[in-house]
Amino acid sequence: MDTENLSLNGKEQRKVLMRLLSYAKPHKKIIFIAFFCLLMMTLGNIFSPIIIKIFIDDYLTPKNLDRSAIIGLGTAYMGIQIAMVFFMYFQLLKFQQIALSIIQQLRIDIFSKVQSLGMKFFDKTPGGSLVSRITNDTEAIKDMFVSVISTFIQSAFQLTGIFIAMFVLNVKLAFFCMLILPIIFLVMRTYRKYSSIYYLDMRERLSQLNAKINESLQGMAIIQVFRQERRLRKEFEDINEKHYAAGMKNIKVDGLLLRPAIDLIYALALIIVLSFFGISSFNSPVEIGVIYAFINYIDRFFEPLNQVMMRLSLFQQAIIAGERVFRIMDETELAPGQQVQGDHLINDGVVEFKNVNFSYDGKRDVLKNISFTARRGETVALVGHTGSGKSSIINLMMRFYEYQRGEISIDGVSIKKYSDAELRKQMGLVLQDAFLFYGTIKDNIRLHNPAITDQDIRDAAHFVQAHTFIEKLPEAYNHEVVERGSTFSSGQRQLIAFARTIAANPKILVLDEATANIDTETEEAIQFALEKMRKGRTTIAIAHRLSTIQDADQILVLHQGEIVERGTHQELLALQKLYYKMYLLQNGLADRIQKAVN
Amino acid sequence: MVKIFLDLKWFFKQEQKAYGLGIGLLVFVAMLQLIPPRVIGVIVDLIQNDILNLRILFKWLGILAAAAIGMYALRYYWRIMIFGSAVKLTRQMRNRLYSHFTRMSQAFYQRRRIGDLMAHATNDLQAIQQTAGAGVLTLVDSLTTGGTVIIAMAFISWKLTLICLIPMPIMAYLTSYYGSLLHKSFHKAQEAFSDLNDKTQESINGIKVIKTFGQEQEDIESFKKQSEDVVKKNMTVARIDALFDPTISIIVGISFFLSIAYGSKYVLAGDLTIGELVSFSTYLGLLIWPMLAFGWLFNIVERGRASYDRVMVLLDEKVDITEKETAIHAKAEGAIQFNVMEFTYPNEDSPVLKNIHFTLLPGQTLGVVGKTGSGKTTLLKLLIREFDGYTGEIIFGGHNIEEYTLEGLRRSIGYVPQDHFLFSATVADNIAFADPEVSYSDIMEAAKSAYIHKDILQFTDGYETVVGERGVSLSGGQKQRISIARALIMHPEILVLDDSLSAVDAKTEEIILKNLKENREGKTTIITAHRLSAIQHANLILVLDEGEMIQQGTHEELMQKDGWYQTMYLQQQLEELVEHGG
Repeated sequence: MDTENLSLNGKEQRKVLMRLLSYAKPHKKIIFIAFFCLLMMTLGNIFSPIIIKIFIDDYLTPKNLDRSAIIGLGTAYMGIQIAMVFFMYFQLLKFQQIALSIIQQLRIDIFSKVQSLGMKFFDKTPGGSLVSRITNDTEAIKDMFVSVISTFIQSAFQLTGIFIAMFVLNVKLAFFCMLILPIIFLVMRTYRKYSSIYYLDMRERLSQLNAKINESLQGMAIIQVFRQERRLRKEFEDINEKHYAAGMKNIKVDGLLLRPAIDLIYALALIIVLSFFGISSFNSPVEIGVIYAFINYIDRFFEPLNQVMMRLSLFQQAIIAGERVFRIMDETELAPGQQVQGDHLINDGVVEFKNVNFSYDGKRDVLKNISFTARRGETVALVGHTGSGKSSIINLMMRFYEYQRGEISIDGVSIKKYSDAELRKQMGLVLQDAFLFYGTIKDNIRLHNPAITDQDIRDAAHFVQAHTFIEKLPEAYNHEVVERGSTFSSGQRQLIAFARTIAANPKILVLDEATANIDTETEEAIQFALEKMRKGRTTIAIAHRLSTIQDADQILVLHQGEIVERGTHQELLALQKLYYKMYLLQNGLADRIQKAVN
Repeated sequence: MVKIFLDLKWFFKQEQKAYGLGIGLLVFVAMLQLIPPRVIGVIVDLIQNDILNLRILFKWLGILAAAAIGMYALRYYWRIMIFGSAVKLTRQMRNRLYSHFTRMSQAFYQRRRIGDLMAHATNDLQAIQQTAGAGVLTLVDSLTTGGTVIIAMAFISWKLTLICLIPMPIMAYLTSYYGSLLHKSFHKAQEAFSDLNDKTQESINGIKVIKTFGQEQEDIESFKKQSEDVVKKNMTVARIDALFDPTISIIVGISFFLSIAYGSKYVLAGDLTIGELVSFSTYLGLLIWPMLAFGWLFNIVERGRASYDRVMVLLDEKVDITEKETAIHAKAEGAIQFNVMEFTYPNEDSPVLKNIHFTLLPGQTLGVVGKTGSGKTTLLKLLIREFDGYTGEIIFGGHNIEEYTLEGLRRSIGYVPQDHFLFSATVADNIAFADPEVSYSDIMEAAKSAYIHKDILQFTDGYETVVGERGVSLSGGQKQRISIARALIMHPEILVLDDSLSAVDAKTEEIILKNLKENREGKTTIITAHRLSAIQHANLILVLDEGEMIQQGTHEELMQKDGWYQTMYLQQQLEELVEHGG
């Protein structure tokens, strides 16, 4: 549970709120309709007691039984009631609609923002927390818009209307009634102050409690083997006790300052009204209908208040969620930008690294002086131990990270100077774990590129020989991929990823351990497909299995960020150094290993 | 609905004082509630008849004020009684659940996912608390308030009461009908939301693919569509949700209309005073809440019942690693004779251990090696009794390990598991886990033996640095070494290292092994490892493959034979060379 940042100060809270409210701007028209409905509803609420007042004072008390007038009043009363039903309905609906539209925009904004961030951001931010920002936090904000803000606006309208009506009916009494406003205000402030302390305290205790359970469950084997069950139970009981105490405090604060307090103030208002009328009746006659109307108004006055108070904690949570959402929106770790100059196009796809140095943290270089050239139709393979810098080379080439020292060029032009679209179009990356999206096989090969026809998809699948298994699927190319393709073997997933890359027809192929996780059944098909794909393209391949790159034109052996050996497979074997040892390791030739070790 | 209240009877009984008092107060409040409308009516009549004087006015207002203050106090107290008891219930259930968790064996944790167990301990308990608190309140309050108000109204005029109550059942029916509609569409909205969640998850996980194909814009488009769907489904909910208030408003409006229309008739006929009519219509306002509350009640209680059932299923699970009544409580000491014919994990088909036989004398070191999944860890788990149910026997110090109490057996074993798990506590607390009373110098001693002392001094707060999920992040090697110190501090008869040196480098491994040898003279050590250098000096090495012993002997003996051990040893030496750049 996220407990950081629970304490935003008032100014920060207001800032977040204002920024959230600014999302309402584009919805002026609906807001206008909603407010109109609200206004009409409020009017209805104010006029119905007045009609009853007129009835009581003008007809009932003097026993005046003018049939048509009474029917007129009754009709008016019921007419207002019926009209209010519609206004109320639309008002509620429109406010919901506004809230939903605002949240939708907020979601799209944060999602778009996340899409524009660089891989550096994704590498340091856990995916789960990002997802939770985009969906759960925005949902919390929605709850605030739906139930807090709209209730608040409704209540404000209602209260203003009631006071206007009271002033019209009896100015003096209305003034007296205003006396209760500061009391209400005081109670609300006190409640907010204490509830925010105790409520947060309880949340904190709850998250401690849950953390304790979670941790204990994870470490239960340890607890049991070290026989600490009794101690942990005791510790847990202590935390549980504190949580209980915090819960009780909340109940007490709620009990002292919420509904019971509002009901007490309601009684106070009644006393004011009754004593006012009682005392004025000593001197002059009092219209019973006015008493009725006032009492009715007071009844209507307090319900919205209860609603708002009960929802104050939602407000607090939404502000915190909003702050977290905006923090991502203000994130500056953008993807490396392009400095497009002219209309460079990639023709041959000659990739060149010239003295490239790179560091993730600005301190330790993970790539040192990397230089190599890969021409059209050539394959350059990168091999090396974990952490030797292979993946960093690909990260730079794909523009996932920005480099400062050295130069990477394609066809003699720095990769920084191509348009993003051109780079993405001409470079095809195949990852170790083929990632399949929800959708059909077809969707997964085409992705969102409308230029790729169904025929292209079939051709691509044929090309990489994925069609044999795809066509055996119940719906062939329209087969739905479920659970990230877990129903396919890793090899089949990889073939689909190959087809995806081939359909886009790039000039440069980048393989990031594309054959590492392949089951033996599809291995042959994969190898065959790769060979075909590489024809006529520039290929940069990170290979885990050395057997897959034996025919590479150039093999670069990396160690601690440096190229320590380079050459063809045969040349490197003859060298009998690092590459040779790696090769032996994978091929398990015992006698030669023995020799190498000694 | 009755079932859950019966299920919770034990608790209501236990807290009968609080519930009894709370419900008593609720009933009392319900009666006090009748006073204000009555006072209004009386004063209206007095004004109407022009017989009001200051003394009478003050008398009635005094009654009103007293009732209001009384209600304030009583409302506060019933909350403490009823809601307080509900919180108490969750506290109690939570303790029970936790203590149950500590008793369950690892077989249980294999069957159940931690996420699910967490959900029981959080959401389900929350729902039960709702039932015992808000559920009880709603039931009692709606019955008493509803009942007393109707009686009070009937006292004024039973005929008028009947007339005005006619629309009320319609309201109850409509709102519960909306409720069922809402339930369905809400479910759909939830699904749309969870689809959006999945979509987001997918985009984040597949961000590399999206970026590679330059499809950020297209992906945003598809996110837009999905979020539109969420809006659409939520609007369906809103359309139903927005029906509640207008329906209530119109029904209440009709009721009021009926009360005034028919009420005036009775006033004109002289059966009713105007004041009584005003009281009557104020009472009517008090009825709305109990009517609505009944609808909710079903909802709360329904959820509470399902949750309670789930939690009870969990609590009813039998503890499967048990102690005999005559179990030996003394600390287990002596030689280990391990004779296991076959062991299969519960709910699995094929055995993971077959025909494992060895004897280990005090002071000896046993090394167990083999591929991942060959059964190394399982062997250790049987020894520490995380699992029973094998054929054969394990003798420790002349007794079958099942003859000991768990305490007696485990007191002799210092276990360092494969997944080095540390608790969110200080380094010192983690090391002193088995015995919080141990002295600081002992803690440091253990840390030194595990070769982590120097690292700890580098941490910001030294031994007081908080580690674990919410603390500083440690490297795998550091965690492993703290885990080792945690086991060493109890000076165990048997030290079990389950691949616990995998994340430290060869030099550190050597130092730790040397320290162990020096400090643990005469005591037994069992080490499983991938890296053979960790067990090279063992008195006995077992090579496991698919649960069976394929080779055994000392390092020297095994190196003489062609076989898994020799091949692996050479290969690892080569790997070492490759890692260091040839």
